[in-house]
Amino acid sequence: MNETPLIHVVDDDESMRSALLLLLGEVGFEARGYASTGDFLLQPLPDRPGCLLLDMRMPGPSGLELQAALQKQNIRLPIVFLTGHATVASSVTAMKAGAVDFLTKPVKRDVLLDAVQRALARDAAQRLAREGADRLHARFAALTPRQREVFDRIVAGKLNKQIAYELGVAERTVKREREQVMAKLEAGSAADLGRLAESLRAADR
Amino acid sequence: MAALVLSFISVPLHAAQEEARVLMLYGIDPYLPPFLAMDRAMRESLASAPDRRINFFSESLDSQRFAMEKLEPEMAALLARKYKGLTVDVVVAVSQTALDFFERHGEQLWPGARVVFVGFLGYEFKPSALPPGASAVLSTLDVAGTIEIARRLQPDPQRIVVISGMSEVDRRTEGQAREEFAKLKEQRSVEYLSGLPLAELEARVASVPPDSIIIYLAQFRDRDGRPYEPHDVLRAVVKASRSPVYGAAETFIGLGAVAGSVASYESRGRLIAEQVRHKLAGGPPDPGHTVLAAPNRCVADARALQRWALDPGRLGDDCELRFAHVPIWRQYWWQIGLTLAVVAAQATLIVALLSQRRRRRVAEQAEEAQRTELARAARRATAGELTGAIAHEVNQPLGAILTNVDTAELMLDSGRDRREELRAILGNIRRDDLRASEVIQRLRDLLGNHKFERKEFDLNGVVSELEAIMRAEARRRGVTIEIRRTPDALAIMGDRIQIQQVLINLVLNAMDAVAEEPEARRAVEVSVAKSENGALLTVRDRGHGVSPEHRNKLFESFFSTKRNGMGLGLSITRTIVEAHGGRIWVDTAPGKGAVFRAEIPLVNSNGALSPNPA
Repeated sequence: MNETPLIHVVDDDESMRSALLLLLGEVGFEARGYASTGDFLLQPLPDRPGCLLLDMRMPGPSGLELQAALQKQNIRLPIVFLTGHATVASSVTAMKAGAVDFLTKPVKRDVLLDAVQRALARDAAQRLAREGADRLHARFAALTPRQREVFDRIVAGKLNKQIAYELGVAERTVKREREQVMAKLEAGSAADLGRLAESLRAADR
Repeated sequence: MAALVLSFISVPLHAAQEEARVLMLYGIDPYLPPFLAMDRAMRESLASAPDRRINFFSESLDSQRFAMEKLEPEMAALLARKYKGLTVDVVVAVSQTALDFFERHGEQLWPGARVVFVGFLGYEFKPSALPPGASAVLSTLDVAGTIEIARRLQPDPQRIVVISGMSEVDRRTEGQAREEFAKLKEQRSVEYLSGLPLAELEARVASVPPDSIIIYLAQFRDRDGRPYEPHDVLRAVVKASRSPVYGAAETFIGLGAVAGSVASYESRGRLIAEQVRHKLAGGPPDPGHTVLAAPNRCVADARALQRWALDPGRLGDDCELRFAHVPIWRQYWWQIGLTLAVVAAQATLIVALLSQRRRRRVAEQAEEAQRTELARAARRATAGELTGAIAHEVNQPLGAILTNVDTAELMLDSGRDRREELRAILGNIRRDDLRASEVIQRLRDLLGNHKFERKEFDLNGVVSELEAIMRAEARRRGVTIEIRRTPDALAIMGDRIQIQQVLINLVLNAMDAVAEEPEARRAVEVSVAKSENGALLTVRDRGHGVSPEHRNKLFESFFSTKRNGMGLGLSITRTIVEAHGGRIWVDTAPGKGAVFRAEIPLVNSNGALSPNPA
């Protein structure tokens, strides 16, 4: 997997787009340009670190609409908005939806590059968190159905005796499954299991 | 102190050695108009040739209104006290009452005073009553002269009627008249209406046939002894009469009497002055009576002459025509009024036509200027609406330029030879710079002080020029805009900027119309096409449409269905289109959007406008 960041530039203005690509290339980024939100969505998105430099207003779907669409598709690409004419309403909407920054054209190099760096940092953090969650998911996937039932009840704070009664099995069996769950999930205690469950829920959200 | 005051008081008394004192003693009200005229003439005459300074005193017995018999002792006592120690040189006794009073008290009140008697009318005069050395200024009743004047005006009267009263004076006057007629050997019978009560007199006068002569001598009393004011009787007679009425007293002329031989009060005043001066001169008292008759002369009332259609020319040169200046106006009032009205109307019409012509010329010149001005005002309003789009259009190249400059700096800092890349970047910068200035130029065109121009241009070009700004605005509003042009040029004649205004107005209008729609349905379509009658500019929206009751008002000034609309946009749009010989109309229905079409005549190949049947 290519770990060099790829910066996506979506701007319908050809001059602006090519100038941004030149600049980003000059400072050592790999950047790719798109003339519209549709263009961007149609291209396969490589699984690489990166961010999105997005013009606010474009013919067809706007930058804000692209932001909403990406969220729906669970694509967590951090977004830096660029706009020629900022309105309070649109900037508030963008920032609430998790945009890294909201820049007004003409934008200074340092301001732009700073925003891009922050976006990439956020992406890295997100990717890291996602990798952890992915590993957790993999470990969780190793549990048998019976072990998952036991796991759910342990996390709910139930005692072995209660779990045995609920599942209609011997307490001894519950005890053995519990040891298996702890081993598979690499947890040292019931408290560790609780934290794992919390992480899973967060990753699935 | 008392001596000082006394000496002040006595000043006029001592000074009286030098001045002459004349007492005007009136038997009746001295403020009656004839007396005022007489008094004024007398004083003017005396002042014009002053022998001595004259101090005038005035007393009125007012015997008409107050019973002299009862008041006389007290009045005499009062006057005695008033004039004690005051030497009066001359007493002018006006009317018989005054003369009688003087006879009884003069010696006691004003010892040594000499008398000038002014007899009101001839029949008042009783020569025996005059004190020794007195003079009398009398006016005679010239019945003969009056008759003669009447016969001059009416040589052939139907009848002759004489009106008089039953008082002693009246009887005497009538007698005088009868004598005069006898002397004239009048062929016709003369009818005398003597002492008739007023109502009967009016009826009798009314029955006198037209073209008769009526001579009014004066009536103080009727046969029943009822007293009258002679002038009132005259007024009634004149009113009732169908024939001219003549009178022998000056005051009768002016009340309706046509003419008469009368003595004027002014001439009487001058005669009095003469007598006063003579008395003051201290000449030896005339043992006999000096009796002077004020001269009688012909006086006629021009209004009355006009009323009876009598020819003033027959009166002769010696006749004084009074009230002539008034009759001219009264005689011709409607002709003069009509003439003035016609002249005024003509003048007004001429002025109105001239000013109308001038106004029209000015208006024609002003119309184009106004249209230009109005269009510019609307463009300014439009510019406000387009601020966002303009900012975007300018910021886009500026942003690219800045980024390119930043990049170029980095390239220079890299230390390598990157001339080709830098050249490319400079090329981009130049392009973007030109693009920005182009936007500003377009903005200036749109907002500037632009005079109406008449040039040939392609309608497609107008759409192209505004495409960027339309797209920018569409983008800002989240509206999809579709623009279609014709491959062939559509040449129209007129003002390019104004046609741009039409396009912008229609497009902004369409964008407003779709503003409330969900974003996916916000669509506006601009197209240019060739139509049967010219070039057709169509702007279509998928908005809320216009209700039928609003549809007809859309193009009116100050009509707007928008919350913040000024209602000028479409009105100006129509004005501009029509100024280009075109027409604009709308197809719309509620909920179905609206299609605005502006059709402008094409320029033929020879440069002339194609005929426009619309």
